[in-house]
Amino acid sequence: MIEILLIILAPIIGGFIYGAERIVRARMQNRLGPPLLQPFYDMYKLMDKQAFIINSYHTILGIMHFVTLWVVVAFVIVGQNLLYIIFLHLLSSIFLILAGFSVKSIYSHIGANRELIAMIAYEPILIMLAVAFFMLNGSFEISAIRENSSALFSIPLLFLAFLLIVPIKLKKSPFDAIQAHQEIIGGVEVEFSGIFFEFLYMAKLLEYVFIYALVMLFAGDSFILALTLFLAVFFLVNLLDNSTARIRIDHLIKIVLVIGLTLATLNIIGLSYV
Amino acid sequence: MFNFKKYRKKSPWILHYNAGSCNGCDIEILAALSPKYDLERFGVINTGNPKQSDIFLVTGPVTFRSRERLVELYTQMPEPKVVIALGSCTCTGGVFRDMYNVEDGIDRYIPVDVYIPGCAASPELIIDGIVKALDILEQKTKKMEKPLKLFQDASTKDGIINKRDCALKVGEKDEEN
Repeated sequence: MIEILLIILAPIIGGFIYGAERIVRARMQNRLGPPLLQPFYDMYKLMDKQAFIINSYHTILGIMHFVTLWVVVAFVIVGQNLLYIIFLHLLSSIFLILAGFSVKSIYSHIGANRELIAMIAYEPILIMLAVAFFMLNGSFEISAIRENSSALFSIPLLFLAFLLIVPIKLKKSPFDAIQAHQEIIGGVEVEFSGIFFEFLYMAKLLEYVFIYALVMLFAGDSFILALTLFLAVFFLVNLLDNSTARIRIDHLIKIVLVIGLTLATLNIIGLSYV
Repeated sequence: MFNFKKYRKKSPWILHYNAGSCNGCDIEILAALSPKYDLERFGVINTGNPKQSDIFLVTGPVTFRSRERLVELYTQMPEPKVVIALGSCTCTGGVFRDMYNVEDGIDRYIPVDVYIPGCAASPELIIDGIVKALDILEQKTKKMEKPLKLFQDASTKDGIINKRDCALKVGEKDEEN
């Protein structure tokens, strides 16, 4: 019962995380910041706006991105197969990329290209993560991972590698070249407007829930550790976002593949000998 | 049903366009967004994407080259939207008025809702103007406002004043609805 409630409320939970994040970011810059409910005000406003449809595929693919991502989050909450979840999440990103390529806007194309490049960078680490959890628990099922004790001390290097890809998925600097506002104006989301942009906006909130749910997976059955990890990663990501500049997309792939993939591989080799 | 109109006021997203400004007003906009004045506490985001923004913030006297882009950006913005003319140049042409390459203010091309004077307009004035624009935004309908004709004869007698009256009429018509 509580799982169904969590699945239905997932975008709202994401909205609260995003609202809190904007306040935290503002306080770090010595500003007051918007109210906590600001993401919901934005959503209500977008519902009321006029919407332009470029072509029907573009619009439908944007909605599909949102729906697939909601299914991913639902599977994480229910406790399905981790490997399956990662590939389904890949599918949702592919819908977004196809939407980016389905219009003529050059910014949309650049954004979709960068999304593809970033996917090459972060996807191996996510799969390594699933492999490591399989070696520890003997199962890809998230419900099995949640029943065992914390995996954080068995796979600390993989946790560091995972921390590297959190800013990519949440579109935070230094790894926000995918959506770079004021440079390529949001990348793939450039041609969406009105209620169709709202689906992308809510998909972003679901992405928050997905990533932080993966972070909490490291804590295993300990609820207090899960909460600590969530708060620590939340503050770390925002601190990093405020204190670093954007790096180029080719630097992004170099840094993530060289450092992240090496750390992940070392950790898995270590696990196989223990 | 649920009344969405009151939420327009709470999340205005700004599109800033520089129609040949000297950068004085642009710097003041950045100052208004900076920690001291903090426009984001009203929910303002500087999006830079016309398809997702509500407020069209224009600086600069419209130079001959930028006028087509100005109208194009205006028509790309979804309704409801408001237009703010920021700075003396944008309102009337300012010191550049009657120069051969300058079109004397944006209200010859698009209907303007709020004029913010000043060279350069101070951040306090900009915040006041945006808050005023939000009141107008709340009353607007989703009906399309037609931009004025792009290639207008610049030499008509007293043309600028006439165009400004026209822009005012468009705003009044919306208040009746």
